[in-house]
Amino acid sequence: MDFNYSPSENEFRMELRTWLAAALPQGWGETVFEPEDEHERAMFRLDWERKLHAGGWSGINWPKEYGGRGATLIERGIFAEEMARARAPEGINIIGHNLAGTTILAHGTEEQKKRFLPKIISSDEVWCQGFSEPNAGSDLASVRTRAELKDGKFIVNGQKIWTSYAQYAQWCFALVRTDPDVPKHKGLSFLLIDMSSPGITIRPLRQISGESEFNETFFDNVEVPAENIVGDLNGGWKIAMTTLAYERGPEDALGRQIRFKQELDQLLITLTQTMQGNRSAIDNPAVRQRLARAISEIEIVRLNALRSFSRLLDGADRGSDASMTKLYWSHAAQTMYEVAMDALGPIAPLSGNDPAAASLGRFQLSWLQSKAFTIYSGSSEIQRNIIGERVLGLPR
Amino acid sequence: MNFAFDEEQTSLGDTVARLLADHAALVAPDLSADAAGPAWDALAELGLFAMMVPEERGGAGLGPVDLALSVEAMGASLAPLAAVDALVVTDLLARHGTPAQQEQYLPRLAAGELRVALAMIEKDDDDAPESVKAKVAGGVLNGVKLLVAEGAQADLFAVVAQSDSGPAVYLVPADAAGVSVRAHEDIDPTCAHAAVTFAGVALGDDALVGPAAPARTVARLFDAGAGMMACLLTGIAGRMLDTAVEYARTREQFGQAIGSFQAIKHRCADMAVAVEAARSATYYGVWTLSENAPDRARAVSMAKAYAGEVARHVCNETIQVHGGMGFTWELGIHRFLRRTKVIEHSFGSSVWHNERVLTETLRTLADGEAAQQAAA
Repeated sequence: MDFNYSPSENEFRMELRTWLAAALPQGWGETVFEPEDEHERAMFRLDWERKLHAGGWSGINWPKEYGGRGATLIERGIFAEEMARARAPEGINIIGHNLAGTTILAHGTEEQKKRFLPKIISSDEVWCQGFSEPNAGSDLASVRTRAELKDGKFIVNGQKIWTSYAQYAQWCFALVRTDPDVPKHKGLSFLLIDMSSPGITIRPLRQISGESEFNETFFDNVEVPAENIVGDLNGGWKIAMTTLAYERGPEDALGRQIRFKQELDQLLITLTQTMQGNRSAIDNPAVRQRLARAISEIEIVRLNALRSFSRLLDGADRGSDASMTKLYWSHAAQTMYEVAMDALGPIAPLSGNDPAAASLGRFQLSWLQSKAFTIYSGSSEIQRNIIGERVLGLPR
Repeated sequence: MNFAFDEEQTSLGDTVARLLADHAALVAPDLSADAAGPAWDALAELGLFAMMVPEERGGAGLGPVDLALSVEAMGASLAPLAAVDALVVTDLLARHGTPAQQEQYLPRLAAGELRVALAMIEKDDDDAPESVKAKVAGGVLNGVKLLVAEGAQADLFAVVAQSDSGPAVYLVPADAAGVSVRAHEDIDPTCAHAAVTFAGVALGDDALVGPAAPARTVARLFDAGAGMMACLLTGIAGRMLDTAVEYARTREQFGQAIGSFQAIKHRCADMAVAVEAARSATYYGVWTLSENAPDRARAVSMAKAYAGEVARHVCNETIQVHGGMGFTWELGIHRFLRRTKVIEHSFGSSVWHNERVLTETLRTLADGEAAQQAAA
């Protein structure tokens, strides 16, 4: 066990740090922030992702032959730390990077890798995820969206839901039913669908945060070339499990941890500067205990991810602890935002542009957003079933 | 960067676990301290007490990280707490002891022949070692220490007391005039806790540990102790998790294993996640001890507070999963519950360590802001 970094790892860190200092706008995080308008913010994040790519900082640990940097998982960890340190913006093609790309890398054909990976890394193509349906949430294997193979094409009909970023996406990977007459897990396939295909309709869904990041996506006789299948016909469940292992895995958790840590640091600074009665908000002893616990949990999200990296480097199977990683970060972050709202005191309800709101109302939005954490990419209840049955060996 | 234990570290941990498994009396339901002696002798024979002794003093020259899995196994087996105290004092003498102290004590510690007990806690004390009222003046120690593990068996006490210039660690032979020991009544008699009174004890010339930096010596003692306690707590939590899961797999009600019910399965899953989180925090904390890293105080406090809360939670849940059996004396889960509570309050409670996590975090943040302003 050694948390010291090698000279080449330190070099990687310093190169990135220097690049970030030059790439971020002057006054970033102090006087200059992300746009407030949802659409403008999405475009800002897309620009930032493309800037990262132009600088050679995208696809950090992906193979060079597909446009990646070819760095190690450890350097991926360093990348996350430095992005947190610089309070760098998030990206928008998270699903492309973390899910579509990783799944194609693991199961795609050579042609698919060459076709799709470089454009994910460059964020020229943004991706969305077509898994959940109105009647297939936790019971994902019961998806009903049909894909019939006719004349070298799949004809797709059905509806997906909670498709985040569909409005910005050029591509969608979807779990579809290709055989309705076999047990539900055995009749599914994994398709890559061009979002500009005729027959696709997107309807935004408003979330409790007021934002419309996710959508309903309708497929009406949408044609998908047969070569856009990943894995075997009716072999989609296995591919989807790989996607979920990455969605719940340490790279994803570490990326999120960046944002949680930034917001937690911002919260601590805000509380130090906020008076409550005759004392600073940070001096409330009851709040201090809960803040400390939140600090520890957010730090443990990072440590859990680093431990997973070491296990993966030792050849461990990716699936086994992904659910543990996801269950932990989602509850840690949710708790942190509850603590934030408590700690802010009487002005906690003030949000957005209210001049009396703390820290530009960012905690109120994050608090609302955090309610989704324990639901998406498998609810906590599903994660607990998986951990109970597959990690602990308890009976179904 | 690598967050995995190497083969020797893992193998030493496995060896300690197997060795202590042969001492089943350590986890027997009855609250007897009789199993401690044979377990101590076996650990000594294994060479555990020589592991942290520097090579030039005849030991293996290992550090806290090398022993983390071993101490975790000691927690899981309810090994004598005094054995961990001995490791903590060894770490302290290896790093801060004078050459004379090292020469006098380390060989005997390495052989497991010297029983050393830590005397820190006082009545009306808070958790901070700086707050002790035991006092050394003119080379004479006065004070009363509580909850000294195996105090009656000790040959030597490591005592935290105020010097003229702040807290310091002193070594006091148990047979010195003015030392008296009273057995405690407490929730875990297997630790053989004692109150030790130092009434006008004249100290030797070489009693002060780390004379060049007494405050740093106290801090090291406290952090090393807290880190080791986190390992013990993680070990207990891991064992309780295994116990609960095994019971949930085999105990049947309503015609099926209770582990098939989500009410039980989900509790077990949450415990498993908590135990892994405690391991992450603990292993990192122990690494900062080995390296004497700049964030040692914060990382160790995180480990101690978090592992303490997890161990407590997992013990409570394990009792619940066992139903009525969990509350019986004969099943012996109460042994782990009792030991956990003792360790939770040893080397600083979760409340105290949480406060230090926040203080250290705020200090680091302020330093960072200042550095950024200076750069701009």
